[in-house]
Amino acid sequence: MRDWGEGRKDRGESRKRLLESLSMSINNLGRGWKIYRRSLLAMLGLLMVLSVSMVAIFADEIAVQHPYRNLTDTEDKWSNNPDQQESPPFSEECSLRAQKITTNPRSPLFSETVVAESVNKVSGSIAYGYFTDVLSVTEIIKIESVSPPGYDQDISLITVDPNNSSIFVLSPELYENSSYSAGVWITYLYENEDMSHWWMPEGYDTCIFGTNKEGHDVFSKVVYGARVSLTIGITVATLTVTIGTIVGSISGYYGGRVDEVIMRICDVFFAIPGLILAMAFVAAMRSVSSLTLPVWLGVLLPVLMLAYFLNAHLSTTVLSRDDKVSDQAMGLLMRNRASLVGLLAFLFFVGWLPAIAWPDFFGFSQNRGWRLISSLTVIVLLSAILLADRELLELRLNNGVMRRLSSSFDWTNPWRYLNFRTVVVFLSMAILFKLSGNEGSEIILIKDFDKLWQVQFALIFTGWPGYARLIRGQVLYVKEMAFVEAARSVGAPPSRIMFRHILPNAWAPLLVAFTLDIGGTILSASGLSFLGLGAAPYTAEWGLMISESRVAFQRAPHMMLYPGLAIAVTVLGFNLLGDGLRDVVDPKNRR
Amino acid sequence: MKLHEFVVRRLLLLIPVMIGVAVFTFAVAQIIPGDPAALQCGDKCGLIVGYTDEGDPITAHQANRERLRLDDPVSLQFERYITDLINGDWGESQKNGRPVLDIIKTSAPVTLEMAFFSLMIAYPLGILLGIISAVRQDRMFDHVSRFFAIAFVSLPIFWFAMLLQLYFATGPEVGGICDPIFGTEGGCFPIFDRHHQSYTYPLDGYHSFYPESGTGFHLIDSWFVTDAKLAELPSEFDTNRELFMDTLTHLVLPCSALGIASSGSLLRYMRASLLEVLHEDYVRTARAKGLSEFRVVVVHACRNAMVPIVTILGFSIGGAIGGAVLTESVFGIHGMGTVAVLGILQLEYQIVMGVTLLTSVIFLLSNLIVDIAYAIVDPRVRLE
Repeated sequence: MRDWGEGRKDRGESRKRLLESLSMSINNLGRGWKIYRRSLLAMLGLLMVLSVSMVAIFADEIAVQHPYRNLTDTEDKWSNNPDQQESPPFSEECSLRAQKITTNPRSPLFSETVVAESVNKVSGSIAYGYFTDVLSVTEIIKIESVSPPGYDQDISLITVDPNNSSIFVLSPELYENSSYSAGVWITYLYENEDMSHWWMPEGYDTCIFGTNKEGHDVFSKVVYGARVSLTIGITVATLTVTIGTIVGSISGYYGGRVDEVIMRICDVFFAIPGLILAMAFVAAMRSVSSLTLPVWLGVLLPVLMLAYFLNAHLSTTVLSRDDKVSDQAMGLLMRNRASLVGLLAFLFFVGWLPAIAWPDFFGFSQNRGWRLISSLTVIVLLSAILLADRELLELRLNNGVMRRLSSSFDWTNPWRYLNFRTVVVFLSMAILFKLSGNEGSEIILIKDFDKLWQVQFALIFTGWPGYARLIRGQVLYVKEMAFVEAARSVGAPPSRIMFRHILPNAWAPLLVAFTLDIGGTILSASGLSFLGLGAAPYTAEWGLMISESRVAFQRAPHMMLYPGLAIAVTVLGFNLLGDGLRDVVDPKNRR
Repeated sequence: MKLHEFVVRRLLLLIPVMIGVAVFTFAVAQIIPGDPAALQCGDKCGLIVGYTDEGDPITAHQANRERLRLDDPVSLQFERYITDLINGDWGESQKNGRPVLDIIKTSAPVTLEMAFFSLMIAYPLGILLGIISAVRQDRMFDHVSRFFAIAFVSLPIFWFAMLLQLYFATGPEVGGICDPIFGTEGGCFPIFDRHHQSYTYPLDGYHSFYPESGTGFHLIDSWFVTDAKLAELPSEFDTNRELFMDTLTHLVLPCSALGIASSGSLLRYMRASLLEVLHEDYVRTARAKGLSEFRVVVVHACRNAMVPIVTILGFSIGGAIGGAVLTESVFGIHGMGTVAVLGILQLEYQIVMGVTLLTSVIFLLSNLIVDIAYAIVDPRVRLE
C-alpha cells in the first residue's frame, strides 16, 4: 500500500521511486518493442498503419480537391432529403488541367468536362448493371448551364456528331464561360465509344489516379476515404471494446444467472452471420432520425459512464478513509454527490446538446469557442473531481492552488492515474473536440457521416458479443487468482476489484483483438457501403467508390483499383500490427 | 455423458437461441421504418374498397392494415408471428405478393451451392498450404504463405471478386489475361449471373431459374433436366451436358473469390494446429521408429491436427454465407444475399426477417452437426 504522508515528507525518496517506476515501464516497453521488432511483417504493418494515419490526418494538405461539392458551401446539400441532393459538379482542377493538355482529336474543346449520365444501356437491373457496350453519343437529352449564373444557354451552340462520336462546342464564347467554374452539363444517350478517356485523359498530372464519372479526383477521394475509414474503424472498435468489456466483466465476475442470461443473448448474436446481422440493423436504424441517435449516444453514454465512475471513485477512494478527513467537507461532498453529477450532466447538455441538436434555439451553436469552453469547463471539473483525494479536501484554503493540486497528486505512483477513468475522461475529451466541428458551421461530422453513423451503430451492436465472450473468459481466469481473493478479503467493492485488479491483468488479448477488429470493422463498413447500405452517395468512402465504379470498371478500372488497394493496405496493416502485438503480449510466444 | 445425451442436450440448448433469434428478427421488423400496408397498395392507397357498417369509407390502405392486422397490440402480433413461423407461413413480399418461404426456397440453394463449392476450394487449399507452411516453419515458403494468408484475410472480398472479373472475365483486348474458352464471350470465365445470358428470364427481383420443379440447386437441376424441358427453355444449348458445363463455369469465379478469401484463415489455423501437434511425443516416437517424414506428417500428425480445423467448419459456413452476400452482389447472382439486400433497400421487412431467420438456422444446424461430429471424434468433449 502506498503511504501518502511519507511520500510527501520525503520528496527525494518519492522522486527516486518515480524514476524507478518510470524506468521499469520504459524497460517493459523496450522489451516489448524488441520482441515486436523481430518480425519483419509486424514492422511492415506498423509502417502501413502509420502511413495511412498520416494520410488521414494530413488529408487536407495531400488531397488536390475536397471530395464534397464545394469547400465553401455552407448549405447542407448532403442531407437525407433526396430533393435536396444534387449531382456533384465537375472537378475544377482536373478538368481545367485536362483542357489545357488534351491532345485527343476526338475530344475538342471542353468535352472533357461532359458528364456521362447513365440513361440507358444498362443491362439487367440498375444495381447489377454493366456497360458492356462501347458508347457513342447519339442524342443530347438535356443541357444545363451550371455557371456562370445568369448566362443564358443557347442549346444550338452545342451539337453532336454521331459519326465520329464527339460533342462539339460551336461557340468560343460558351467555351470561355464554361471553362473555369464547372460549365455545362450534358445528359445524352450514347453508344459505341470508349468512355475511359473521359475519366482518365492522357497526360493528367494533377489527378494521378484519374477521375470518376462525376469528374471527381479519385486520388483526393481515396485520401479523404482514409479519414472516413479510420474514423469508423477506431470509433467502432473502441465502443465495442468498451461495451463488451463492461458486459463481459459483469458476466464473468458475477456468474450465475446473470452470466447465463448474458451468454444466451450473445449466442443469439452469434447465431446470425455478422454481415446479415449488420444489414438488418442498418435497415432498422433507418427509422432513427439522423441527428437524434448520435446525440443520444454521443452525449448520454459518456455522461452515464462518468457518473458511474465518479460514484465508484468517490465511494472507494474518499469514503473508505475516515482518519483526518474533515467530516464537514466529506459529508458535504458525499451528500451532494448525486447533485454534483447532475450538475455536470446539466453543464454537459447545456454545452453540447444545443450545439449539436438545437442550433436555432440557442443562437450560439455556430460559435466553436463556446462549444469548446463549455466542454473544457466540464472536463476540468470532472478531472478535478476524479483526481481529488482526501489530501485535497484536508488542506486549508490559504494554501496555494497549485500547491494543493501538486500535493494531492500521488507523486510516488503517478501510474495509478492511468486508469480506466482517466482514459474515459480523455476519450470524452477527444469526442467533444471532434464534435465541436468548425467555426461558423454546424457539426459537419454528423451531417456528412449521417448514413455512416447508422453503419457504425450497426457494427457496434453486432460486435460487442465477441468482446464480451473474450473478456468473460479472461475474467473467469483471473478471478481465481490469489490477489483478487486478497482484495476481496480486505473489503474492496466489486467495481474496484474489477477495474483495478482484474481488468489490468486481462487486457493483453483485448489489445490484440482491438487491433484486429479495427481492420475487420473497416472491411465490414466498406462492404455495407458497397451494398448501398452504408455511406451516402458521393461520400469519399472506399467501399462506396468501388460500388460506384461498377458501372464501367472494365473500361475504367482505375476507379476501382485504388480504393480497393487502399482498403487492402489499411486492413492488412492493422492485421499485421495485431499479429505483431500478439507475439509481444502473449506469454506463450515469448522466447 | 453418452453420445445421445450429448446430442439431446445440444438440441435443447438450441431452443432458447432460436427463440432469441425469432424475438430479434421480430424486433428488427418492428423498428424498420415504412408502412407495409402502404407498400402493398402503392399509389392506389387512396382507393375506396368498401364501407364499414356505419357507412364510413374504407381505403385500400386501411383494408391492408386490417388484413395484415398491423393495428393489433405488439404482443398479439408477436404471438401470431411465432405461430405463423411454426406453421410455415413466413409472410409474403409486399411488392409482388410472393410468399417469403417461396422466395427463400429458390434463393437459398443458390447461396448454399456457392458456399459449398467455395469451401471445397478453401479447405484443400488452406489445409495443404498450412501443412507445407508448418513443415517448413520459418523458411521462405512459410513467410510468403503466411503473408498471403493475412493478405487474403485483409482483402475486401467484393474488390477481389471484381479483380477476378477484370482479369478472368474480360477479353485480352480490354485488359483481361485469358482468351475465351467454354463458349464465353469476354475472358475465359463468364462474368455475370448463374447461366448464359440467353436463359435469363426478365428479372423481377427474385428471379428463379427453375421455378416449378427441381431441387433449386442449379448444378443438380441442370444435370437432370430432361430434353423436353430443355427444348421449352429459351436456351441455345441442345444437351443437358452443355447446360451443366455452362452452369459450372458460371460458378468458377464467384466460388474462387469466396474460397481463396477464406482459405487464408484456414491456412493459419492449420499451421498453428499442426505446429502444436508436431511437438507431441507420439510424433517424436513416429520419427524415432524411422518412418519417413511424409508418413510422420501426413498419417500421424495431420490426423490429429485436423480435429480443430473441423470445428471451425461451422463458423466457415457462417462466414461463407456472409461473404456470399457481397460476392452475389458482384456477380449478379440471385441468392439469399441479393434477396436480403433488395429486401432492405425496398424495406420489405418480412423478407429481411425470413432471410435472417433462415441463415441463423443454417448456421446453428451446421454448428450442431460439427459439434456432434467433434464429440464422436473426441469423446473428451462430451464430458464437459
